[in-house]
Amino acid sequence: MSLQKKDDYDHSTWMQKKDLTVVEKTYLTILMWLDKRLRVVDYLELLENLYYKTNLQMPKSHTEQYNLDNKFWYWYPLYALGFFSTLAYVVAAVSGALLGFYYSPATTGDPSTAYNQVAFIMTDLNFGYMLRSIHRWSAQVMTAAVFLHMLRVYFTGSYKEPRELNWLIGIVLISLTMVFGYTGYLLPWDQLAFWAGQIGVEMSLSIPLAGEWVAQLMFGGFTLTQATLQRMYILHVFLLPFVVTTLIAIHIGIVWMQGIAEPH
Amino acid sequence: MSDDNDTTDDVRTDGSGPGIVPPDDEVPTWRERKERKQGLARLTYEYFERARREDQDLRQESSYVERDVLGFPTWPHEVIRNLAITCFFVGMILFLSATLPPHLGAPADPSSTPSIILPDWYLYWSFGLLKLGDLNPELAILGGEKLMADRTYGVLANIVVVGAIAIVPFLNKGSARRPVEQPFWAAVGVFGVTFAMTIAVLSIKNLVPMNTKLLQDLTFLLPFVTGAISYAVLKTMREGYMYDLNRRYYRLRPPK
Repeated sequence: MSLQKKDDYDHSTWMQKKDLTVVEKTYLTILMWLDKRLRVVDYLELLENLYYKTNLQMPKSHTEQYNLDNKFWYWYPLYALGFFSTLAYVVAAVSGALLGFYYSPATTGDPSTAYNQVAFIMTDLNFGYMLRSIHRWSAQVMTAAVFLHMLRVYFTGSYKEPRELNWLIGIVLISLTMVFGYTGYLLPWDQLAFWAGQIGVEMSLSIPLAGEWVAQLMFGGFTLTQATLQRMYILHVFLLPFVVTTLIAIHIGIVWMQGIAEPH
Repeated sequence: MSDDNDTTDDVRTDGSGPGIVPPDDEVPTWRERKERKQGLARLTYEYFERARREDQDLRQESSYVERDVLGFPTWPHEVIRNLAITCFFVGMILFLSATLPPHLGAPADPSSTPSIILPDWYLYWSFGLLKLGDLNPELAILGGEKLMADRTYGVLANIVVVGAIAIVPFLNKGSARRPVEQPFWAAVGVFGVTFAMTIAVLSIKNLVPMNTKLLQDLTFLLPFVTGAISYAVLKTMREGYMYDLNRRYYRLRPPK
């Protein structure tokens, strides 16, 4: 098979000449779009060679792969914000797991088991106030770092062409971070939590068409009950951790593959 | 990794030498892999074969000049720096936690609405967008009735803002990176940041000692002001910066 040199990089003409079915065309378009941005071919080749050769080598780090020299240090403190938010996420995960030993999401009791458990953590448990404090502050710092990270990416133009996908994942991540914060805000089941929950129910009810369905799904009804607290708890400690951790891994993985966008 | 079959007898660290690893000539080339496949898999290989060759052509055409230092060593440079940053940062969180423990309010009471209901600070902007009912258009055809409920309008405003942020990379392309290289988009960014802050202030308008009408006007006026100022400043700085950048660029890669 001989390909003419002259039509190199002209993938659309190449595709037209091949007389493909719709499925093939769609598939190839997506493949080319992803490959142009992420060099899928490199990683597929790597996997295939692993399959054929069975010996594993570490891929090059982005500094080696892209021959980054000291330009990397330009605006460096701002380039660390993504790392900061990841780190705060880890701190929050560890302290959250420890808090999970003492918290239980129940509205029964006087005034409620959830509130009593948080009060127990704050007053009776050794270093419990510190634990909750660390969890809360790392969450705050993570959110702040994520916002600033987004600003840095915007103002250094790092979201541009090969990195659109990561920008979109980043938007999903920042939204999920805020959902994380919101669900966590509701867990102590104090006045602020309850009425913030009320606003959440009203917000979801006001979504056109799907409103009632969303309110049922997220809050377990149109008023705040045990079901609401239970759902917020499961979202906060089960669903979101898995989803967000996976997305962070993909987000960082793509940064690894594409290298850091320098402002040059 | 490579399709070349010129294995020599040297000891090699990439596993291609003698040993448990099959010799290189057992590793099928792209062409062989392609020929074994049918349908979509074959198409994948055809495209990849092509992409590989294009890469190779680019490499041969490239006028890239190798520098003395090609990479920044992971150990000790990167690792020490990362450890230092990590320790500092975790220490900062611990310090904050120790000095400012969180608040635990009164227990939930459905029968008494507190006078001030606020989410966490990072949701203020979204909370502010929910309070934009005054801007909800009224239609004369509907007899001055609003097209949608105020709260629906607020939720839609949130979706519009997030959507606008999401499509930025599809609108702004090109290789310009620094704010000075693209004053317009930098100004849009400054506009957005200012708007996020003013709308956050608007969301707590009952706590701000200021006329509500004035506050609302400022909310929408200030972003335009800061955006215009940053546009003017960057536009003015641009020439000098571009001169500097170009000079450095051409010193590194002299024109042929």
